Amino acid sequence: MNDRTGKQSQLFKLKVWGRNACFTRPEMKVERVSYDVMTPAAARGVLEAILWKPAIRWHITQIDVLKPIKWESVRRNEVGAVMSPRTSGLFIEDERQQRAGLLLRDVAYNVHAYFEMTEWAGVVDNLAKFEEMFQRRARKGQCFHRPYLGCREFAADFAPVNGDMPTPIDESRNLGWILYDMDFSGKEPMPRFFHAKLEKGSVKVPAFDSKEVRG
Amino acid sequence: MILQALTSYYGRISAYDGSGVAPEGFEKKEIPFIIVLDHDGKFKGIDDTRSGEGKKKRAREFLVPKGVKKSVNIAANLLWGNPEYVLGRPRPGTETDVKKVEKVKARHASFVETIESLDVDDSGVSAVLCFLREDDFSSVFSHPSWPEIEKSGKNDITFRLEGDTGLVCERNEVKKAVASMNKRGEDDRLQACLVTGEMDSPTRLHTAIKGVWGAQSSGANIVSFNLEAFNSYGKTQGFNAPVGKKAEHAYTTALNRLLGRDSRRRIQVGDSSTIFWADENSVMEDVYADLFGEPPKENPEQINQAIRVLFESPRSGAPPITEDYTRFYVLGLSPNASRVAVRFWYAGTVGEVATNIKQYFEDCAIVHGNKEPEHLSLFRLLVSTALQRKSENIQPNLSGEVMKSILTGTPYPATLLASAVRRIRAEREITYPRASLVKAVLVRNSRYEKEVGMALDQNNTNVGYRLGRLFSVLEKVQEEASPGINATIRDHFYGSASSTPVTAFPYLMKLKNHHLAKLENRGRAVNLERLIGQIVEGVASAGFPAHLSLQDQGRFAVGYYHQRQDLFTKKSTDEEE
Repeated sequence: MNDRTGKQSQLFKLKVWGRNACFTRPEMKVERVSYDVMTPAAARGVLEAILWKPAIRWHITQIDVLKPIKWESVRRNEVGAVMSPRTSGLFIEDERQQRAGLLLRDVAYNVHAYFEMTEWAGVVDNLAKFEEMFQRRARKGQCFHRPYLGCREFAADFAPVNGDMPTPIDESRNLGWILYDMDFSGKEPMPRFFHAKLEKGSVKVPAFDSKEVRG
Repeated sequence: MILQALTSYYGRISAYDGSGVAPEGFEKKEIPFIIVLDHDGKFKGIDDTRSGEGKKKRAREFLVPKGVKKSVNIAANLLWGNPEYVLGRPRPGTETDVKKVEKVKARHASFVETIESLDVDDSGVSAVLCFLREDDFSSVFSHPSWPEIEKSGKNDITFRLEGDTGLVCERNEVKKAVASMNKRGEDDRLQACLVTGEMDSPTRLHTAIKGVWGAQSSGANIVSFNLEAFNSYGKTQGFNAPVGKKAEHAYTTALNRLLGRDSRRRIQVGDSSTIFWADENSVMEDVYADLFGEPPKENPEQINQAIRVLFESPRSGAPPITEDYTRFYVLGLSPNASRVAVRFWYAGTVGEVATNIKQYFEDCAIVHGNKEPEHLSLFRLLVSTALQRKSENIQPNLSGEVMKSILTGTPYPATLLASAVRRIRAEREITYPRASLVKAVLVRNSRYEKEVGMALDQNNTNVGYRLGRLFSVLEKVQEEASPGINATIRDHFYGSASSTPVTAFPYLMKLKNHHLAKLENRGRAVNLERLIGQIVEGVASAGFPAHLSLQDQGRFAVGYYHQRQDLFTKKSTDEEE
């Protein structure tokens, strides 16, 4: 995180929504239980699906919850083994694992984010270029891969928010420590956490390298 | 949220002196047998701590150093264990197996080593070491209690010094040593704990959670990464989710206590073991189990009492319970082999819960026979939707969803209505619990236009409800025409009448004429004919419908039940006159 150039884009607002979402808690990632709200890491994933280049890095500043938090419990057949490149494969039915999941249902969020230029930016790269690119892509629904809400199977729809801001739900509570994102700067990727509070439906996200974020 | 709430519950219960909560590094464990030694390490006898009769015999609980998590490897607990570890005694029948005997030897050596590594100056520990170094346990094996130890499945052994009341591992010196050993930590890798946010060394393997119904009896884990596919970022086991040692001890101890055998904070709802707790002492914690559990035979009034405790305004002038803002949590856990899955999770206030529970009882209320209890337990409601009324046949996800709906006051899951209606069709029997359940679903789904009442509603023009009533009267006619008949039209036609009325009713109406002709009491025949006329009036203008929706099938069931109850109550009042 020390390759900051200090060049920041304008603040974008992107509405994302979907039928289901699972922002899996690390401690309950086997029998999945979701966090109550979208994590900054998941929001970053959605933005990067729409626009990402080595020259830019996304930062999340706020996440608004637009629909009441509802839960759904399912049990799915998954696979328990990891295939080794040396074997000729594995027979899935022999490696079946049933996993339960406590998922979010019918979600919508308003993600506030900006990006900054990294040291990878070339001479022809500038803020305005990527700002325009992102706006154009978001408006047209273009993406590198389909953005998703926590898990690949929960595809997300998105639209830029211009003008009227959607109103968040009227709910305030302490969400406890939640995952911010993985820190990939060291040798081993390490998780970083922050203390999230839902205030009138919004979660304020501190800067990734601030003191409030611990890892 | 779940682990956080459990951790703070641990804080609450461990704050009381004498609460019996295990401090860090210790656990509560039933130890059936105690070897008594004198100060020189001489064997003095064996205490049997078990009480009770036959299979229900239970040992006393002691505070012992936390057991090591083991599967096949050799890892000894401190100062307690089974005879293989403590005395190096192979299990009966394996004495001739060389491999096994070698393994047991290694286990015993590891047990001795663990005590030696404790390195404390304590007369109890030194007595135990003397006894073990002597390596002559013939006096133990010839003790009259020994065959009993060999025989019993749970045969953990520990030591007590003659003259002491507590165990050797409960002595102060030992406790101190264990506590300081914990502080040292195995590795010095510090990471932010995802429960508390404090820097702590992450726990690799979490203590097993016992008492989840249907899970492995040795315990299962909520936080576990027991297969390769569950790892992320090249991490293994507990490092996938950094839960600090402190938080790990707190949440597992709290969970095990809530799930414990004597816990008053748990109920079984279908396949999910449900536990509940509040942030502070609350009356809700005391009555919650009574509200939903099956009342014991000796106290059938249990549910009513609990409702009274909860909702009758207290005379002391305290604010009503619906305005109690204490946080209240309900956690439903269900087993999946060696793992425990969270089925549902509810975090709200005592007041919210009280309001919603009251609503639930109101929704379920329906007329019933005098001998039936006024309020049915949730268990009886749910098993009424299951094949052969067995709890294991309740639809897997259903109970948790229902519990969640009750707590949040939201509509019941559609599967509840579907499975109740399916059972009714398959068994052609609408029992009190089923009628009450179907009614509750319908009422809830249309909260604001309360369409299905508690008792017979003659003005209800819903086609399902009307046809249900009609079917009930037709059955009554047949029963009166042929008293004591074995199989009525219900047994033959319930399924088709409730789902595809057009195929069943024309035939049934024709049949009815023959039945009425058989009635000897002509007045009664006229009365019944008139009743049928009244009911059909609202239906037949458009003819019998070809299909009934699932919702209408539910109304059919309720209508049938209401009408049948009504026919019988009328009769009894007539007789009184």
